Amino acid sequence: MSADLGDRVDALGTRGTVAAAAVLAAVLAVAGLAVTGSGDTVVAVVALLFSKSTLAAALRLSVPIAFAALGGIFAEKSGVINIGLEGLLIISAFAGVYATSITGSVWLGVVGGVVASTLLALLFAVVCIEFRADQIIAGLAIWLIALGLAPFASQVVFGSKNASAGATFPDIQQLLADTGLPVVSTALVGALDALAGVPFLGALFEASPMVYLMFVAVGASWWTLNRTSFGRWVRASGENPKALDTAGVDVTRVRYAAVLLSGVLAGVGGAALSLSLGQFVGNGPTMVNGKGFIAIVTYLLGNYNPVGALLSTMLFAGLDALQLGLQGQDVLAIPQSLVRTIPYVSVIVVLALFGRTRIPEAAGEYYESGEE
Amino acid sequence: MTEAVRLDGITKRFPGVVANDDVTLSVERGTVHALLGENGAGKTTLMNVLYGLYEPTEGDVYVDGDGLTYDDEGAVADAPRRFDSPRDAIDAGVGMIHQHFMLVDPMTVAENITLGNEPRKWGGLAVDRAAAREAVLDLSERYGFDVEPDATIEDIGVGVQQRVEILKALYRGAEILILDEPTAVLTPQEVEDLFEVLEELTDAGKTVIFITHKLGEALEAADEVTVLRDGKNVGSVETAGTTREELAELMVGREVMLETETPPATPGAPTLTVDGVSANDERGVTAVDDVSFTVREGEVFGIAGVDGNGQSELVEVVTGLRKPTAGAVALEGTDVTDASRRARTRAGMAYIPEDRQERGLVMDFDLSENGVLGSQHDAPFAQGGRLDWTYADDHAADIIEEYDVRPPDATAEAKSLSGGNQQKFIVGREFARDPACIVASHPTRGVDIGSTEFIHDRLIDLRDEGRAVLLVSSKLDEVRGLSDRLAVMYRGRVVDVVDPDEVTEEQLGLLMAGEEPEDVPRADPVADAADATDGVAGTPPADDADAEVADD
Amino acid sequence: MTDADGDGSADGGPPPRSARDRAFDVLDRLVAASATERLLISGSALLLSVAIGFLLILAAGRMTSCDAAAYSLFGVGFCYDPILVYDSLFLGAFGDFFANPLNGQFATTVSETTVLVFTGVAVAVAFKAGVFNIGGQGQLVFGALASALVVYALAGAVSGLVGTVVLVTVGVAVGALVGGLYGAIPGALKAYADANEVITTIMLNFVATSVALYLAGGPFKDPESFANQTRRLPEYALFPQPLFPGRTDASLLALALAVAVAVGIAYLLRRTAFGYDVRTSGIQPEAAEYGGVDAARTVVSSMALSGALAGIGGAVYVLTIAGNFQTGVPDYGFDGITVSILAGNNPVGAVAAALLFGVLKSGSIVVDVGTDVPPQLVGVLRGLIVLFVAMPEFFRMIGKRVDVRDRLGGSRDAVATDGGEEA
Repeated sequence: MSADLGDRVDALGTRGTVAAAAVLAAVLAVAGLAVTGSGDTVVAVVALLFSKSTLAAALRLSVPIAFAALGGIFAEKSGVINIGLEGLLIISAFAGVYATSITGSVWLGVVGGVVASTLLALLFAVVCIEFRADQIIAGLAIWLIALGLAPFASQVVFGSKNASAGATFPDIQQLLADTGLPVVSTALVGALDALAGVPFLGALFEASPMVYLMFVAVGASWWTLNRTSFGRWVRASGENPKALDTAGVDVTRVRYAAVLLSGVLAGVGGAALSLSLGQFVGNGPTMVNGKGFIAIVTYLLGNYNPVGALLSTMLFAGLDALQLGLQGQDVLAIPQSLVRTIPYVSVIVVLALFGRTRIPEAAGEYYESGEE
Repeated sequence: MTEAVRLDGITKRFPGVVANDDVTLSVERGTVHALLGENGAGKTTLMNVLYGLYEPTEGDVYVDGDGLTYDDEGAVADAPRRFDSPRDAIDAGVGMIHQHFMLVDPMTVAENITLGNEPRKWGGLAVDRAAAREAVLDLSERYGFDVEPDATIEDIGVGVQQRVEILKALYRGAEILILDEPTAVLTPQEVEDLFEVLEELTDAGKTVIFITHKLGEALEAADEVTVLRDGKNVGSVETAGTTREELAELMVGREVMLETETPPATPGAPTLTVDGVSANDERGVTAVDDVSFTVREGEVFGIAGVDGNGQSELVEVVTGLRKPTAGAVALEGTDVTDASRRARTRAGMAYIPEDRQERGLVMDFDLSENGVLGSQHDAPFAQGGRLDWTYADDHAADIIEEYDVRPPDATAEAKSLSGGNQQKFIVGREFARDPACIVASHPTRGVDIGSTEFIHDRLIDLRDEGRAVLLVSSKLDEVRGLSDRLAVMYRGRVVDVVDPDEVTEEQLGLLMAGEEPEDVPRADPVADAADATDGVAGTPPADDADAEVADD
Repeated sequence: MTDADGDGSADGGPPPRSARDRAFDVLDRLVAASATERLLISGSALLLSVAIGFLLILAAGRMTSCDAAAYSLFGVGFCYDPILVYDSLFLGAFGDFFANPLNGQFATTVSETTVLVFTGVAVAVAFKAGVFNIGGQGQLVFGALASALVVYALAGAVSGLVGTVVLVTVGVAVGALVGGLYGAIPGALKAYADANEVITTIMLNFVATSVALYLAGGPFKDPESFANQTRRLPEYALFPQPLFPGRTDASLLALALAVAVAVGIAYLLRRTAFGYDVRTSGIQPEAAEYGGVDAARTVVSSMALSGALAGIGGAVYVLTIAGNFQTGVPDYGFDGITVSILAGNNPVGAVAAALLFGVLKSGSIVVDVGTDVPPQLVGVLRGLIVLFVAMPEFFRMIGKRVDVRDRLGGSRDAVATDGGEEA
């Protein structure tokens, strides 16, 4: 096990390094095409890369992707490829805003997002596990349903495809200060305040609570998958469901649990996305804008390891943050709409380089107990 | 006598099929009981009933690993069991080792053994991995198994994997072990080891039920044999008081008279040359290691070996489905190493693949469409890119008639045919190419006896017409009976090329297990002659009968 | 779908030999379990989606406020009237058909249907080869853009009837070429780098949208417009519309081209060696490999063909509906997936499914104008239809209560990502 783990970390390391290099190369290629200035531009880009605001943006942008990726890992490890993560993010992004606008609490908003996403995941699970639907098509349907339903509901409730929640997450310092606990609300906040002043890394100490929740979720997911019985069942269910079945564990239940868990996790991610801005944007591909699909690529790249998925998420989110920074500062002579393609192009590059991921043996296959 | 298992009047019906028909079976505690029968005789179904995978349509199951109790009149006093799932069967002390191992490849031995019953700590928040490891080591020592708890399943050999399966059952407290065709994937030596393990188990009071279609093994390993035929129990006999002939007759319901009479070959010029070929398997591990041989026109060149020793990869290299990492393949003097599948087919190479349902036929296509497979770009099937379906229909009808494919309907979908008829259609299609060279990989796997004989005869006919035949099979009697020269593969290498008439089964077995040729004692001339006479005289050696009625 | 080739002119049995045989053949296929079953599944999926949409409209009607209930059921008032919505959606699309079959609303239906036939057949072709092309949208966008730019550039050189013939032909060809190239990219990535086409095509959709926005909003922007769009094409550069007076968008000629392409693709799949390769590698890749099919090349060429069809859809969109390239191209590519899935990936069936979606698209405009219900309802219906068609087992379970005849040996899933034909 430990040797195995070491291997996995090793594999992750190599993959991660090569991936980072590849993505960087992609960025440079795109940048190189349109860079008109020379030294100054490079300096400006590097400065932007290591600015605190970029890290802060990267962390913020990581949250929905990382949560969706964690959800995707559980579902796919159990043998159900959940390509509908995008849809789960969309529905929970809207439900989060809707619940917040009614209750006035972002936390209840998150709960609302989770409930909506889990219900949609339940529909997906029933369709795939009970009615043997093709998982890819069903996942696509989940996306399409959410893509129609969220703006529809927004239009009905708010009279517009875009909706405001009227509240956003407090930052961590405010949250802690509000607790009123003796040391926490004073000394700890003071310490955080001081650390937040550090250049670049300071962003780690004044992030939204959802960022910290993301780190916790990654750790907990890793533990669940690798150290608990449930995690083993999930893995066995995706690799050789019959082995699990004959060992007396109900494969159907494990798969239901895993898909619902993916709904819960994606729900947190979707709600975090919309509530960190305090609004839902339902135009075109909605504010989720492909994050669910990027999440799939991040966990493939992270080899189904939650930690690996987080690292590759940060990579993509970092690119997105850089892209936003570039748009904001007008450093490069590249038009915005082209800069916006960087994350998508890098997904394709990464997938082309690491397409040969070993997916779970039985992923995508319907399983029926007792079938010979 | 104390029974551990009693199945009373078990009937299992599936829509349209009666798999088990009023079967009664009694297994004594602490013995090895063989369940013998042809494929489709209902052996596995019966055991799946015992293991809770199927619910019997009728009949009662009684199980007690410590032995059933009886009332004064000798009737079973235990309540009949009702297993809704394997879990219930496991709880009752029944363990099953399936033909295809139920192991999770990327997980370790200990993880697999404890799957579903993990020892936990911290209130269930974590698996107690140390405890799992200890438990596995304990069990493994108690029964004299040699397994490493931390090894990953995909890294260990088939024989060891089988032990892991047995340990898995024992870990769950199995008192009664069901083994489904446990020897199918083992070398003769591994089979011997397995039988020793079974003895250890019965000595420790466990009861073993052992499903097989090989009567030699049933006789060797079991204390009692029950023969199933067409879903019915046709007789239970003590191994001490029976003969091979009696069992064979019970199995097939008629006297078994099988012989492979092959007139000697007259080989000509080299047709297929394989020179120093190496290749990797899907995982990038070397599967074929520097293999060279030549197949001449008018001869059958056989390759024997336990499944998984590189034969499949070698065949794929020869036929153009796999790129070799080294070496060359030549067909009639022309190098075809880099030629595509299509180019090789055009150059006169026919190929009967080992997996007819994956490769050989498109299951959802009808026979007309399947008859085109491989020739869809060639005249007369295609003219200027346009397919001539009228010709294709006639072509399929010809194959159907000549090879007696049933049902005789070119519009029938391939998936609606039985395995034997599917195979006959493939054989017919490939032979119709008028090939210079035929690569036949397990051509009679899972095929009934009649079709097997037919396919064998056709192969010999083609040989006698001066074509080269490369025959790969894991059925020893088949490769021995048909081949004019026989190569033995072990771990990707050809360990020896022998004259099949001059080696015994035992010698072949040793070669297949990886013994160096010089270490394999050659039979003395007298025994050799006797062996040869055996074949010619038409009294089939027992193991021939084994494999012939075999149907995997 | 309702054609005699119910189970697919692209995948049926051997060709008929005589008139009598042919008649029996047709009958056979009509009653063939798989064909009727597929038809039933598609129909049931549609009905079920409509039923759920009904509930959705009611629910939405409870969530919004209004002065007077538009609809009441069991004494409960609802703000939206589902009957009216569906009436607008399905019948509104035909306008006042019997008074004037060439009315404007029906013209919209025809023009939408035309584009959807192309995208639907595009997805179907890829499906047949076992590739899931979700990138139809991106291929259509690039095809449309390229077609608009090239036709505009050439429009000055020719004019009149000759100009129309030349420009429309060139426009369609350019759309096919560019769409085909853009479709070949994910094909090649799948074939040679094993990159999952579902993800790459979706990513390429985002890329196409952004790049098209840049091009239509920057270098090729119409200087006289505030919107991000290219210059308008002259009328003689568009598809002729001989029947619908005063409408430039609906062209029966374009529709005829669409139907001809659908039939041609069906012929290609069923009657040619290339089609045989495509179908074989779609249903059973291992067998295709065994049969000498170059799997990688088949994936690339079928994706190129699929992209080309989507690209033609884009060109037709420009040369009938839009008259230039405008950003914010409607979701024809995604609707193409639904069309194909609903038609069981049968190219001829896709014509019927495209008509259905043409009606829905056109009808959603009527819904938007005539009711307060948001037109995104159609998007939800689209998703529900895909979902229900993807789970044939559900309908089979219901069907089993009625008919146990083909419990054994019935065909498997009607639509699946592994070719989805008879499989």
